Amino acid sequence: MTATIVAQQIINGVVLGSLYVLVALGLTLIYGVLVQINFAHADFVTLGAFAAYFFMHLLGGSYLASIAVALLVGALLGVAINLAIFAPLRHKGSELLPLIATIGVSTMMQNAMLAVFGPVPYAFETPYSQRVFRVAGTFFTEQSVIIVLVSIATIALLYAFMKFTFLGKALRAVAQDRETAGLMGINPNYLIMLTIVLSSALAGMAGAMLAPVLVLTPFAGTSVIVKAFAIVIIGGFGNVEGTILAGLLVGLIESFTTQYLDPGLIDIVVFGLLLLMLVFRPTGLISERREENV
Amino acid sequence: MSDAVAVGPAYRSSRRRLAFLFAALVIAVLPLLLTSGYWRTNLTLCAINVLLAIGLDFILGYAGQLNLGQSAFYGLGAYVSTLLITKFGVHFWAAFAAGVAFAGLAGMILSLFAVRLRGHYLAIASLGFAVIVHQILLNWISLTQGPLGIYGIPPPPAIAIPGLPPIEFSNQVALFYLVSAFALLAYLLLDQLVRSPIGEALTAVREDEISAQSLGINANAWKVFAFGVGAAVGGAAGCFYATFVGTLVPDAFFITESFTILAMVIVGGMGTLIGPVFGAILLTLLPELLRDIGDLRLVVYGLALTLVVLFMPGGLVQGWELLRRKFAGARVAGGR
Amino acid sequence: MSEILLSAKSLHKSFGGVRAVRDVSYDIPQNSVFAIIGPNGAGKSTMLNLISGVYQPDTGSLTFAGADMAGMPSYRRVRLGIARTFQKIRLFKQLSVLDNVVAGFHIHHDIPAWQYLIHAGAFRRDHARCREEAMELLSFMGLARRHDTLAGSLSYGEQRMLEYARALATRPKLLLIDEPAAGLNAAEVDTLLDRIQTTRKRDVTVVIVEHNMELVMTVADRILVMDYGQRLFEGIPSDVQKDPAVVAAYLGGELT
Repeated sequence: MTATIVAQQIINGVVLGSLYVLVALGLTLIYGVLVQINFAHADFVTLGAFAAYFFMHLLGGSYLASIAVALLVGALLGVAINLAIFAPLRHKGSELLPLIATIGVSTMMQNAMLAVFGPVPYAFETPYSQRVFRVAGTFFTEQSVIIVLVSIATIALLYAFMKFTFLGKALRAVAQDRETAGLMGINPNYLIMLTIVLSSALAGMAGAMLAPVLVLTPFAGTSVIVKAFAIVIIGGFGNVEGTILAGLLVGLIESFTTQYLDPGLIDIVVFGLLLLMLVFRPTGLISERREENV
Repeated sequence: MSDAVAVGPAYRSSRRRLAFLFAALVIAVLPLLLTSGYWRTNLTLCAINVLLAIGLDFILGYAGQLNLGQSAFYGLGAYVSTLLITKFGVHFWAAFAAGVAFAGLAGMILSLFAVRLRGHYLAIASLGFAVIVHQILLNWISLTQGPLGIYGIPPPPAIAIPGLPPIEFSNQVALFYLVSAFALLAYLLLDQLVRSPIGEALTAVREDEISAQSLGINANAWKVFAFGVGAAVGGAAGCFYATFVGTLVPDAFFITESFTILAMVIVGGMGTLIGPVFGAILLTLLPELLRDIGDLRLVVYGLALTLVVLFMPGGLVQGWELLRRKFAGARVAGGR
Repeated sequence: MSEILLSAKSLHKSFGGVRAVRDVSYDIPQNSVFAIIGPNGAGKSTMLNLISGVYQPDTGSLTFAGADMAGMPSYRRVRLGIARTFQKIRLFKQLSVLDNVVAGFHIHHDIPAWQYLIHAGAFRRDHARCREEAMELLSFMGLARRHDTLAGSLSYGEQRMLEYARALATRPKLLLIDEPAAGLNAAEVDTLLDRIQTTRKRDVTVVIVEHNMELVMTVADRILVMDYGQRLFEGIPSDVQKDPAVVAAYLGGELT
């Protein structure tokens, strides 16, 4: 019996974790290349979710097509935020101004969505939410299977892109050493645009995936993003493997806290871990140390 | 924080004294001009937000530490003082002192992260701190009554002055005078601090920590100091908020409140004290003036924050300087 | 020979696998100009960072005016009298030129604690005195006219001079200057040379890391040559050019 409960929590944790990884990967990609945080990432997730919802429920599209729509909406938002915020502020060389500006964008988007969509949760039903598998006493929906599979596929594609394509290598070069990357003959502005669009597309897609499982409100992304922040720090900013590991870890913490402690304690446990992490291992689970050059 | 507006060394105390007298006069006259309960409520909210904004600005604008946890200090001040009053029957001013001290202490604890972390890491650590405090307020139901909230928080006890009728703080105007007098006092003291070598040390830490240390400035100690002071001022705002509104719910101190306070500081002009004062007043009153927008209050905040960062990172103070220079220039040109 | 102000005993410092400083010892006499030279990556800047306390040595000891400096953070060394400039200029760019220097008086304020909150007589006197002394230092470095400008908008040469003035504001006994002539034109190098010599006449011991050999040979009393983190030579300038190890390291060319 206990083993079944534990197995069930592991399944729940992995499903949640996969969603968190999708959201956190976008943040960590941008950080790796720009050393910037996009606070509006959360609202890209939310808007992606709403786009998918309306595509399915108003236009009668299929769920899989609505994921693609969310991805597209995310990508467009990425173009917009780069043109409006990151590109103009890049030359000022400030670490904090872009962060503050994206907090502004996030506040704006979230409350605009609140005004348009209202605070009442939307029921995002997909054909896959109802079909349940039962294996050895545990159960999970087809939706969960889709979430995990799409996450794995996305991560694999991203990995392959970074490892085997020229653009991917250029991105990694920029992430590691921003000064010499220009020597590879690629316009860095182009690389930055690519990164932000990629990251935002991931956010939009994550929205379409998580809305059927969690609650779809204008705050859907925000509740996930604070955990995604914790994940990128626990995983080590800009570190893709660490982010995946930390995402799954946070998903598991959440499912086990819900089962054995109290759902209200989830954020306290996750952020407690984050703060401990920042004190004892600020470079993340998989660490790479840098000393400041004086 | 390279985009903060630098404060000149000019030391003109007589003009400052006049400005403070003028501010005191404005505070005295305003509730007599605006007699509706609605506007008097807004005035008191302005004073509370001014406290929050100058507290955050001391940490962000002067010491250069991106603190997204101001909502937590605000909430801690409110809850600690209120619980002491309602559960333990502590006198208002003793509870007030405890709330301020507790928030200041929390700020110093958070600053221990600032000592090890920089920029983005600190931003997220302080955000995490704010999330934890909000969640504790929400989930420690036996103490805080969680989402149900605490009701019927009394106003501060009346002050009896011999020979005069006692000052009753159940009177909205009296409470406004109390909060704004405290805000003015806090402003005065912070203003003296930032114009002293302490302010010089803080800005040095903001501009370049290693360089500051090379001049004998203990950067970590000054960060602890800045967080302690800024958080305590935020805590004071919380105490006043609780007694003013009479009701406390944890969601009043959600992390978005930190962003709201941040917007006031940035829109006003971080790294100056006067800027955040006007930023707080503007962003408190603007949505009220544009009454039709109703639910869009926070959209205005977000928009203002974004536009200011993009086009006028020095905020209202920078705008004022530009205007002044333009008119000064016009006068010179006209004189020729 | 005068008294020893700073004494280093078999200092070691590694970063990752890189041994930046290996077993280096030397004594710096009071009121001397002590130069550290060597090829790029020889460990000169690391040595300066060890003295100023930005880094702590892995092993070995540093004694300054009789005080052991093990584990002492940089801001406390300033109180003992160690000041520095940086190879990559680190000014407070958004502050005025004057305010940069005033910040250098941090450890020399004479104000009772309560006057930080309520400015009164002692505060005003201290305020005026700091600004007056700061202006003197700016005049000394030829920057008095620029006191109101933002430090970030000074020319490169002026920024170096300002950093020098700011370091002097701490009233050091030992001044560490890291490649002060880098990026300066010939006239500016002459000014700098003159200021270093004046500084030394005011009872300040100077440690200088520099590539400009002409400057080093003119100003230095003793020279430490480093290569691959090790001490290659230490002695008076006229002996440096004769040392076979030094000549070999420099391939004979640069030192003439």
